[in-house]
Amino acid sequence: MSDAALNELIEAARLDRDHVFSAPWEARAFAIALQLSQAGHFTWDEFRDRLIAEVRASDRIRARDGTSDHGEYYDHFLHALERLLDEKGLAH
Amino acid sequence: MSEDHHNTDDSGPAARVKALEALLTEKGLLDPAAIDAIVDTYETRVGPRNGARVVAKAWTDPAYRKRLLADATSAVAELGFAGPEGGHLVAVENTERIHNLVVCTLCSCYPWPVLGLPPVWYKSFAYRSRAVSDPRGVLEDFGLELPGDVEIRVWDSSAEIRYLVIPQRPKGTAKMSEGELAAIVTRDSMVGVAKVEAPRA
Repeated sequence: MSDAALNELIEAARLDRDHVFSAPWEARAFAIALQLSQAGHFTWDEFRDRLIAEVRASDRIRARDGTSDHGEYYDHFLHALERLLDEKGLAH
Repeated sequence: MSEDHHNTDDSGPAARVKALEALLTEKGLLDPAAIDAIVDTYETRVGPRNGARVVAKAWTDPAYRKRLLADATSAVAELGFAGPEGGHLVAVENTERIHNLVVCTLCSCYPWPVLGLPPVWYKSFAYRSRAVSDPRGVLEDFGLELPGDVEIRVWDSSAEIRYLVIPQRPKGTAKMSEGELAAIVTRDSMVGVAKVEAPRA
């Protein structure tokens, strides 16, 4: 295989990586949650429980009404983070 | 969702995140430089290239393949891939008869150290709700039509177990090196929604 072909493949594979975040705030929200959990302010499992609850509530609405007006994944992620910070008294 | 959360919805998510970051930084709970480092790590350093190296090694090193199938967490750690959300990794292998597909029906569980963060479609309601009930239809949406006699196994990820699909090595790649093979392994193939294609000569 030629170098050019290999480079093209690697480039294609690199592009494969996009669409992890749709907007910069999603990346910041993710990083805030990860850093706070790594610093021991809460465990990732505690965060995941809130995230699952937000996603489940959204799924129910979507299954019933067929709308996504109540937000996408990182909206749920941010709600879960805000809720957990609230519960822990970290954001007052 | 509670009333107090509706109140915060008045401003957009970008403004809320910015306010949150400012407040937590002021309280000494967050280090903005570390936030930048985490974003950089997950945007550019940890990603499906790691998993592709694991798959290419499994294709070319039978002893490694055996170790990967027996204990994927340890096998990927041999290549230096570990970290958050990487515990209890299970590798599942595609064959002529079996095709594996990974989903997280509850939210977004995904093996970060080998695949990075999940793509948008993996977290979508459409994918999460259909992967279990209609895997063949989901694969067709991704442009993958499997013969009727191929069994599709769907693995639902959880906080406890994450999955990595070892796709089939495509025909016509016998002369390729491990590094060249790693370059053709895609993220989608390691989630099970695509096959690995041999490069066109």
